[in-house]
Amino acid sequence: MAYEAEISRENPTCILFVIDQSGSMDEITEAGRSKAAFVADVLNKTLYTLITTCSKSDGVRNYFDVGVIAYAGSQVGSGFGGALSGEIVHPIHAISENTLRVEERKKKVDDGAGGIVELKTKFPVWFDPKSQGGTPMRAALRKTMETMFGWCEQHPGSYPPTILHVTDGQSTDGTPEEMADGLRQISTKDGPALLFNLHVNTAAGQEIVFPTSESDLNDDYSRMLFRMSSPLPEHLAKFAGDKGYTIADGSRGFIFNGDPQCVVDFFEIGTRPRLVADR
Amino acid sequence: MRPRDLHSKSRLPLAFSVPKREDQHNEDSFRRSAKGVYALSDGASVSFDSASWARILVRRYTRDPEFTREWLSAAIAEFRQLYDRDSLPWMQQASFDKGSFASLLGVRMADRGRAIQVLSVGDSLAVLCDGDRIKATFPLSTAAEFTKSPQLICTNPTHNAFLDKMDFAYDLVADWSFRGLEQPALLCMTDALGHWLLSQRDRDSSPISVLRRLRTPGAFARFVLEERAAGRMKRDDTTLIALW
Repeated sequence: MAYEAEISRENPTCILFVIDQSGSMDEITEAGRSKAAFVADVLNKTLYTLITTCSKSDGVRNYFDVGVIAYAGSQVGSGFGGALSGEIVHPIHAISENTLRVEERKKKVDDGAGGIVELKTKFPVWFDPKSQGGTPMRAALRKTMETMFGWCEQHPGSYPPTILHVTDGQSTDGTPEEMADGLRQISTKDGPALLFNLHVNTAAGQEIVFPTSESDLNDDYSRMLFRMSSPLPEHLAKFAGDKGYTIADGSRGFIFNGDPQCVVDFFEIGTRPRLVADR
Repeated sequence: MRPRDLHSKSRLPLAFSVPKREDQHNEDSFRRSAKGVYALSDGASVSFDSASWARILVRRYTRDPEFTREWLSAAIAEFRQLYDRDSLPWMQQASFDKGSFASLLGVRMADRGRAIQVLSVGDSLAVLCDGDRIKATFPLSTAAEFTKSPQLICTNPTHNAFLDKMDFAYDLVADWSFRGLEQPALLCMTDALGHWLLSQRDRDSSPISVLRRLRTPGAFARFVLEERAAGRMKRDDTTLIALW
């Protein structure tokens, strides 16, 4: 059975975010913010949640290696800044220690006695929104493939990598499909790498979530993204179902025309490999 | 690997625990009172300082086994006093806010076993035996149930909302008795051993007879290591409390 490997400090898994930062990402969503700002926010929150999962009173445990590949114009490279910018993938404890800044925010929480209290909360930021130039998706997925090939060689017994690709438009440097095909063939002993694709849109349009067939889709571009996407493993399919999505056998990790809630859910579902070793 | 001999002077002659790994802290906790109250808690590793949370739960239960919402609020307040939240680094503050999770299995015995009340939240398992036969288990009855995510008690009240829908005296409690049993025994165990026991219950050799033979911490540790190596037991902190 694939996707059963114990995720532990001895055998971490890898989560790689591939983020489109092309010029069109500056389009404003219905919520009044740009797609780039919204994706940066969700990415910061996702890293915050992942690190929180790994945080104990004695420090951050390396259950995950995490990377970000950002692409825009002629640039494909690490999406991290500062000390993290030299490499694509880092142990999660290194990411926890290298934020751009830590902001103070306020949140309302249950006080445990039937009331609500406002708490000041430290919120780390790794990414600021960026959007410029074209969409070198093919080069980005080639870089992803090279990075994941190296990671899997070093971690043959680990739960395979999960790649979450977020884009709003079509590739401007050629078809990315063969790169995606190659990426999904990279594997550990526990199964092939998982590539999930999220297409975000500001225009009103019918969102298509976790489809099972190309026939669910209306154009060549969305059908290509469908083919580029891995089927959801059983435990992620169940989690998506628990969140209210309609899941069937063969549902792919793919959302087309995703609205902001889809973006949030896509990141949450995609970053839920089971920490079976440490329940 | 040297298991803890939890209470060698106990009225319970057997109480053993083996950590998930030799170099890692054991987040299971066990305690008993002189009044025949026993408590076992399994702190979830993927949460902040669950070992302290488990210790608080078993200490409070053995002092006051009336588990109520007020009881839980007081336990949460005690845990929160362990840390100065505002001075924690952001990643620990976030984990502290998310909460610590643990099971709670409490047993009250009265009248020499004529009345046994078991309280359970989570997936730690109580087992009533007669000889090598399993007469009852609580709160789970099949090995398959262990594959679901358990609902655990959390230091963040938001995650205890599932308790709001429950009648504590009905949903969380089983009333058993030794009365009428020829060779009564009561076992309490954390989930790795509970899953093992229920997955072995239909084998020719009763899992109860296997556990009955484990009379020393060393024997229990060897048994756990062998079952892990054979793939029959999950690698997790593993605790057994047995009243044979």
